[in-house]
Amino acid sequence: MERYLLRQQPVPELILEFMKILNFVTIMYIVVVTLDCLTGYVWQQEAYGFLGKIRRLPLEPWKIPLVAVGMYGCLLLLLSIKTSTDFWFVWKLCMETGAALAISFGLHFGYMGVFLLILADIIRYVSDLKWKILLASLVCAVYLLLDYNLLTFWITMVSFEECLGFYSASGKSLLMGIRNVLVSLNLFVFILYMVAEILAQSSEKARILKLNLELREANRKLEEYARESVKVAETRERNRLAREIHDTLGHSLTGIITGIEACVMIMDVAPEATKEQLHAIAEVARSGIRDVRRSVNALRPDALEHMDLGNALEQMIDGTRRSTGVTIDYECQIHLGGFSQDEEDIIYRIVQESITNAIRHGKATQIRVRIGREFHILDIHIQDNGTGCADIKKGFGLHHMQERLDILGGTLIYDGSHGFVIHAQIPIRWGKEEEDD
Amino acid sequence: MDEYLKKNLTRIKLALCFLAALLTGLAVTGAFGRLPWPGKKTLTIGVFSDSYWEVQNGYSYRILDDAIALFEQEHPGIRVSYESGILKEDYSEWLAEKLLMGEAPDLFFVLENDFNDFAQIRALADLSSLIRKDAAFDPERYYQAAYECGKYDNIQYALPYECAPRIMFVNKSILDAEQIPIPQGDWTWEDFYGICKQVTKDRNHNGILDQYGAAGYGWQDAFDSNGVTLFNRQGTECYLTGDKVLEAISFMERMEQLNDGYSVTGRDFTLGNVAFQPLLFSEYRAYKSYPLSIKKYSGFEWDCITMPAGPQGENLSRLDTLSIAMNARTAHGAEAWEFMKLLTGDERIQSEIFRYSEGISVLPSVTGSRQTREVLMDHAGEGNALNMEILKTAMEKAVVVPGFRNQDLAMETVSKAVDAVIHGDSNISMELIIQNREINRYLQSLQQ
Repeated sequence: MERYLLRQQPVPELILEFMKILNFVTIMYIVVVTLDCLTGYVWQQEAYGFLGKIRRLPLEPWKIPLVAVGMYGCLLLLLSIKTSTDFWFVWKLCMETGAALAISFGLHFGYMGVFLLILADIIRYVSDLKWKILLASLVCAVYLLLDYNLLTFWITMVSFEECLGFYSASGKSLLMGIRNVLVSLNLFVFILYMVAEILAQSSEKARILKLNLELREANRKLEEYARESVKVAETRERNRLAREIHDTLGHSLTGIITGIEACVMIMDVAPEATKEQLHAIAEVARSGIRDVRRSVNALRPDALEHMDLGNALEQMIDGTRRSTGVTIDYECQIHLGGFSQDEEDIIYRIVQESITNAIRHGKATQIRVRIGREFHILDIHIQDNGTGCADIKKGFGLHHMQERLDILGGTLIYDGSHGFVIHAQIPIRWGKEEEDD
Repeated sequence: MDEYLKKNLTRIKLALCFLAALLTGLAVTGAFGRLPWPGKKTLTIGVFSDSYWEVQNGYSYRILDDAIALFEQEHPGIRVSYESGILKEDYSEWLAEKLLMGEAPDLFFVLENDFNDFAQIRALADLSSLIRKDAAFDPERYYQAAYECGKYDNIQYALPYECAPRIMFVNKSILDAEQIPIPQGDWTWEDFYGICKQVTKDRNHNGILDQYGAAGYGWQDAFDSNGVTLFNRQGTECYLTGDKVLEAISFMERMEQLNDGYSVTGRDFTLGNVAFQPLLFSEYRAYKSYPLSIKKYSGFEWDCITMPAGPQGENLSRLDTLSIAMNARTAHGAEAWEFMKLLTGDERIQSEIFRYSEGISVLPSVTGSRQTREVLMDHAGEGNALNMEILKTAMEKAVVVPGFRNQDLAMETVSKAVDAVIHGDSNISMELIIQNREINRYLQSLQQ
């Protein structure tokens, strides 16, 4: 995408470079001719007559190239600077106008073409049409007001034409003509630049418009695909669940029903055999419940499916931290391996629920999560700096938490007077095989 | 890294721009020169080698040298220098070239003819703010007319250095022979005309006039002494149609008719054949004293008196003033101002004008002093006592004409017009209206 947006327009760019060179040539031309005239008057000892004809003493000869060329260098440097904010752009523009004024001053306001360079720069960099028009008309106004003939109403200056009085009439008209050609050429190149710029901008617009359409189409397809995916996944899951139920629970229940029917029939004839049969049925039921538990486990939190508890907790906390901006201080002093799946689930859910509560209900900005161990007890301590809760109703998921802990034989203590504190303790049963209930 | 470099590149570019702009600004505004560089400051002065009054006296740089010595003594950190050997006739071109090349001295003398042009193109510094800020400077100390000569468009651009009023030279020998008393200080055109008519004659009876009334008395003298304001301040309009002008021109016509069509020149006066000729006072000072007294006007006794007054004017005369101005681009404005003040306003320096030049000091306190009177008496010699009253009147009542650009061209045109009117056959006032219209058209064309 970046490649598309930052693509430089080669044609207007080239024209602009040509304009810069043309301006330099024009400035040098005026400087050289003016200097030749001024020194010529002195050589020919006609200085007194010249001063008697002009309206203002011209600049000292050494200052003319210094101001004109030096300030033109400044202007080129300024033009090459790319600004990032509007503020800096306006600043840059002011400095450019200042440099252009200085150049014009150095040339006794005999050449104003450099303002067109600034105009071209504005057209190129300002994309907002309103600003473009405003800034362009401001620079235009300066350019127009600085016209020599208009300017002499306010400031008297020696004109280029007056300087040329040194030459013969034909020489004068030739030199004046060359200057006029250069000025007109500059104007012509500027118009060419504008046309090229407009063409380039409109083709760029069309290209972006086309890209936009393509993008929208792709987006629509993607959305459709996502919807279908969801539907497919749902169907697949439903089928899996049906199969699972059929394979496990259906299977066990069928066995149990059959076994019990057999028991009913032989109960009076062979009570011993019935007892044995019932034991077998119980075994089937137990196996069934194991299968159910396994199926349910397949629905456990996604994170725990792919990684161990420690990483899952860190990832969840990190995710919350990033998504909410709340500072969560997580400290785990023990290795969280070796827990059974249901224990992992419950620990994960307790931490998740507590953090969610702290943020949602307590409006906490800082949460401290500490997991440690005292002998055979796992200690989960979660504290926040939120509003707390003076009158705790077990609605904030606490009830659920308590239930889960009960399954593992753990305890839950909580306090809402200063922020909210949850303290859960779970007996550790590492290495023990999980017992059936 | 790339981003970092890019950001720094922008900073480098900006820094370069600022540096270039700063250096250019400093150079162009001349701030470099104003910086307190170590070593002595040098103040340069533009001056011509010969006398402003066209008299060789061998003292060309004497007064300036004395002023420089005095100035350097009072301001030890400053050296004052000037380029010597520039003749007065080359001075205008020399100064124009220096101004054009930006190498003009900090201070320079300005010839009366150049002043308007140089002030118009702003080559001369506007002294108003310096005058306002300087409590020690008092314009009242100068002769008003001399001081006004440094004004252009109501702004003071120069201070007067020395001056000379135009006064009337009288050939006493002729008047004595005709038994005419020397006219009084308040004499009029009619007295003037009367004497001229009386002395104009053919002495050797060969049928050709050989003794005349006046030489070199021009329409400008008549206008000045009849209170004519010829142009408006901007030089865009000419007032040639007033009755004052009419009177002056009728008078000139009558005067011309006395000579039977012969154009009397200064040479005739030098030869002793003319009773009156207006000349600058500097001429009087130069030729009244030895050794020049034997070179010119030696065959007769002569003296000077005020100019005759017209019916609506006074015994006024014009003042020729040599001024000194400051370069508008000088880097040492304050020092240059101090030197200007010393040269034009210090009595020690100004009193030297009476010793080493032919002009008159621009300070009434110097010109009116006893010491000056003694110097002038001394110069006059041969028992010819100079009537100091004449000088005093001439100086205090001198005509001040505000200058404008191309004044010389305008004057030339008026001169031609007046000639045409005097020698024309038609009605004077009718002719004046026509000429006035044409001059105004010409003045308008000069403005473009």
